[in-house]
Amino acid sequence: MPPEPEEPDEPAAPLEVSLGAPERSVLSALRSAGGLAIEEEAIPGRTGLPLEAVRGALQRLRSKGLAVVEEEHREEVRLSPRGEAALSRGLPERRLLQMLLRKAGPMTPEEIEVEGLHAEERSAAIGLLRRRGFLGDGVPFQLKPGHPDPTNRFPEEAALGTIGDEPASLDVAALKDLRRRGLVDVDHRSTKRWQPSEEGRHAVLDDDSTLLGTVTPSMLRDGTWKGAAFRPYDVRATVPYVAGARPHRYSAWLREFEEILLGLGFEQAEGPLLETEFWNNDVLFMPQQHPARSIHDVLSVVGLEGKLPAPELLERVAAVHEGRPIPGDATAITPGWRATYDRAVAKRLVLRSQTTAVSARYLAAHPKPPFRMFSLDRNFRVEAVDATHSIDFAQCEGVLGGEGTSLRDLVGVFQALADAIGIRELRIRPSYFPFTEPSVEGYVKHPRLGWIEVFPGGMLRPEVLRPLGIDVPVAAWGIGVMRLAMVSLGVSDIRDLFRDDLDQLTGGAR
Amino acid sequence: MPRAILSRPRLLETLGREVTDDQLRDLLWPTKAEFGESGDGTVTVECTADRLDLLCESGLGLALAPHLGGAHGGVAMRGGNWTGPPLVIEVDESVAAVRPAIAGVVVQAPEGHSLTAGLLDEAIRFQELLHATYGANRTRSSLGIYPTERFGFPVRYSLRPIDEVVFVPLEGTEATGGRQFLATHPLALRYGGLGVVGEQMLCLSDPQGLLLSAPPILNSRDAGEARPGDQSLLLESTGTNAARVRESVGLLSLVFVAHGWTLTPVEIRGEGPADDGLALTTPRRIELPLTVLDGLSGRTYTVPEGEHLLGQCRLNAHPVPGGFLVDVPPWRPDLLTAVDVAEDVILARGVRPEDGVVPPSATRGRRRAETVFRRQVAELVLGLGHSELYTPMLVGRDLDQLLAPSGAIEVANPVSDLFSHVRNRLLPSLLTSLSHNVRHAYPQRTFEVGPVVVADSGSETGGTTRYRAGILVAGEGAGFADGAALLDYLTGTFAAVGVREPVEIPGTIRGRAARLRLAGEAIGEVAEVHPAVLSALKVPVPAVWAELDLTALWPLVRRSDAD
Repeated sequence: MPPEPEEPDEPAAPLEVSLGAPERSVLSALRSAGGLAIEEEAIPGRTGLPLEAVRGALQRLRSKGLAVVEEEHREEVRLSPRGEAALSRGLPERRLLQMLLRKAGPMTPEEIEVEGLHAEERSAAIGLLRRRGFLGDGVPFQLKPGHPDPTNRFPEEAALGTIGDEPASLDVAALKDLRRRGLVDVDHRSTKRWQPSEEGRHAVLDDDSTLLGTVTPSMLRDGTWKGAAFRPYDVRATVPYVAGARPHRYSAWLREFEEILLGLGFEQAEGPLLETEFWNNDVLFMPQQHPARSIHDVLSVVGLEGKLPAPELLERVAAVHEGRPIPGDATAITPGWRATYDRAVAKRLVLRSQTTAVSARYLAAHPKPPFRMFSLDRNFRVEAVDATHSIDFAQCEGVLGGEGTSLRDLVGVFQALADAIGIRELRIRPSYFPFTEPSVEGYVKHPRLGWIEVFPGGMLRPEVLRPLGIDVPVAAWGIGVMRLAMVSLGVSDIRDLFRDDLDQLTGGAR
Repeated sequence: MPRAILSRPRLLETLGREVTDDQLRDLLWPTKAEFGESGDGTVTVECTADRLDLLCESGLGLALAPHLGGAHGGVAMRGGNWTGPPLVIEVDESVAAVRPAIAGVVVQAPEGHSLTAGLLDEAIRFQELLHATYGANRTRSSLGIYPTERFGFPVRYSLRPIDEVVFVPLEGTEATGGRQFLATHPLALRYGGLGVVGEQMLCLSDPQGLLLSAPPILNSRDAGEARPGDQSLLLESTGTNAARVRESVGLLSLVFVAHGWTLTPVEIRGEGPADDGLALTTPRRIELPLTVLDGLSGRTYTVPEGEHLLGQCRLNAHPVPGGFLVDVPPWRPDLLTAVDVAEDVILARGVRPEDGVVPPSATRGRRRAETVFRRQVAELVLGLGHSELYTPMLVGRDLDQLLAPSGAIEVANPVSDLFSHVRNRLLPSLLTSLSHNVRHAYPQRTFEVGPVVVADSGSETGGTTRYRAGILVAGEGAGFADGAALLDYLTGTFAAVGVREPVEIPGTIRGRAARLRLAGEAIGEVAEVHPAVLSALKVPVPAVWAELDLTALWPLVRRSDAD
């Protein structure tokens, strides 16, 4: 037999609810809309309440299940001034690609600038063309053999032309890239429309004017609470979000790393971020014409000049650069760089490009062994910013020196540091730094990026130590601490270490 | 790192066997070269800046041969049997002003051999790489390769009137005047300025006036084009740096010496002291005491082991009491002293993580007391519910202009306008973060304890690095008093009571900005951020900023036993 049809449910009895005056007023307004949803901004006009009060009442009605909201979010995408310029002149990467195709050979940054692509555009264009397989690494820039077909439009070019069209027709990934590059601006708009819920339509609105709301100081003073009842709250309602204050996870990681070094007996040192070339390079036996000292690698500053160090130290450093005996010595310890040491170069200022400058200052100030010093600080280099390169980067510099110090001690420090932060796979291979010999590089394994170099170091050359008056072997390193942090924190993009998104910093989104 | 695209067939030819990409990657791991990628008949290799000799097929072949069961030990530098006129490059005194440094060597094919297309291609590839790297785009040194069979010695460097120069450029078909060449040839447009002085251009000619080249731009076709079948070549370099010039010839000679070609010195005669050219045909000798090797490596090497490892590095070693005398060929300019040679030996043996020993500590690790103080301040601000930031020190031009005149140091060669100034306060960094978080709920409370650089002409470095604690509160009702109260709380924690005085701070509201002084020192600032700044950053709520100069405060509050 077919089942008996079920009797329809009894209509629920109208709910009796206790509401404050603003809530009653707002709910009445919603009910009077004839079943249509009302935009939030229109409710003050219907109730005479200020918008903030309306909003509070709406939230309370919602938490009591008496009102429902439809929220419509939309993004309005428009070209930024920079985007308009790119639309008319072409994207920087297209312009660079065209330059390289025209030139049919390598181009230096200066040539590219002369052709009309300024430094900021050039940096972005180079990164993009590299990612897309048009350009290899290194300077000057040159098209790679077998690069993709340059006549194909880039997705961003297509997307740029569609700005202003219906949002659904936009390429989301390309749009994201355009936005990141400041070529488009996105305005976020949302509209809330409210209407009573089924309960809200039928609820009997008690006059709760006799119920007490918030406990107030005057209530406590004059005792008016005595004998009165308090309006009950919906204890299941959503409450305001409390944003916790937390240490930045990268700076917290840096402090943990410091603790490891302190535990190994290292003493902390600091040095200036704006530095003379003498301390940044010369004292480290870097030739004054070394390519890493060029404006393509090191940031210099406008309108300031440094001062030379003490004459005696300057003369000792000049002697090793020129391959002369250090004053007081009978013979030269090195053939040097066979070029005249230029004191004008020595006092030029740069933003410190390596914390080894801090080590040099430390050793000059504390020439008596043993040495066990570290410095965890910032440096700056000319870099095309990408997932593994940052202009402003931290290094953990250290020196370890005394009778019998050797490369094995340096490797031991690398191993100890890797162990301490939970890295199990370490490999060592040869490297080169002008101020150390031997020079090595420790590689660790990143789950996504593969083997990455993080532990560069070596034994400081006699040409570095002798001018500073040091006669014992000294191991030195300058750890790429940001890369190490990436491995340790599971971050794949170095820029995430500077993240300032409060949703994340406070532990969650509201 | 410098990189080169090498010919894969040529590399395999020098290695004498087939190797896969993975094998090549593994073979290169213990060297200073690194496998990049494979292309169509090419292999990209990178190497550290000191070992450019590894960026040619022959150099790489020499280095890898011992690992593939091939040759071991130093490469013989055999002298040539030159029978022609004396090998001399005469240098006119006029040249000193433009390319003062000159060096050369003649290489001759072994009996029964001559220049092959593969060897020529490799030499030209390596020449171009050396131009770009060692030669700093031909400014410091530029190289030429000339067939000695098509010109006579002595050759002469001189500056000649541009209008008198006529030659057929390499790969050209017609004679071209110097002026037209300089105005039209792509290489002349790029490098012409390096060899031209007024109305004269640098020329290398033979006694009959035959033009070999217009350095550092291009060879002539008639006397300057090396071709397969040639048996004797002049390798020559001009430039501004004598060491670079000599070393670049030495590096280029590697390509030929590795294939058994001989070396004959070329004398340089000019204004300065004569150079017999022997430095490019005779190995330098470096003494490597075993004590240096043992001291650097932390282990003991025996003489046979050291000799074997030096051979693996393709260096000839002569045992002497207490160590070795090591012959250093001209393509190894990176070997300056004993420590450089010791590095080769140590790296040839291999450095492994398990070799490491954690040295016992004779020192007590400690933070700087001032660093501890900074952290105390950070903890206090955290305790007030502010989220910590870690922001870049370089700030953008637009923001700096919003806060103008900021006094921030400008970067002379910024990578982009987003990183154009070094912050001298934390304020711009805090505002940047505020602008990044306009979609986050308010109030927002953030802070950063970090470095700034303040211009200071009296300082050794033109500026001083100072550490500051910057605090920002943004939200309805945020005002001056909130910021001032924060400063009072922080200084009060260290038993210091500052005095506020009115001040004008760009980017803040006039009359709502103060400087905090303690014992006459300016130790802090506090102000309401100007609505013009907030509007520009699209921040919809008021904001107050406070900043303590911890570098100034520390000496005033430190305990006497600190540090």
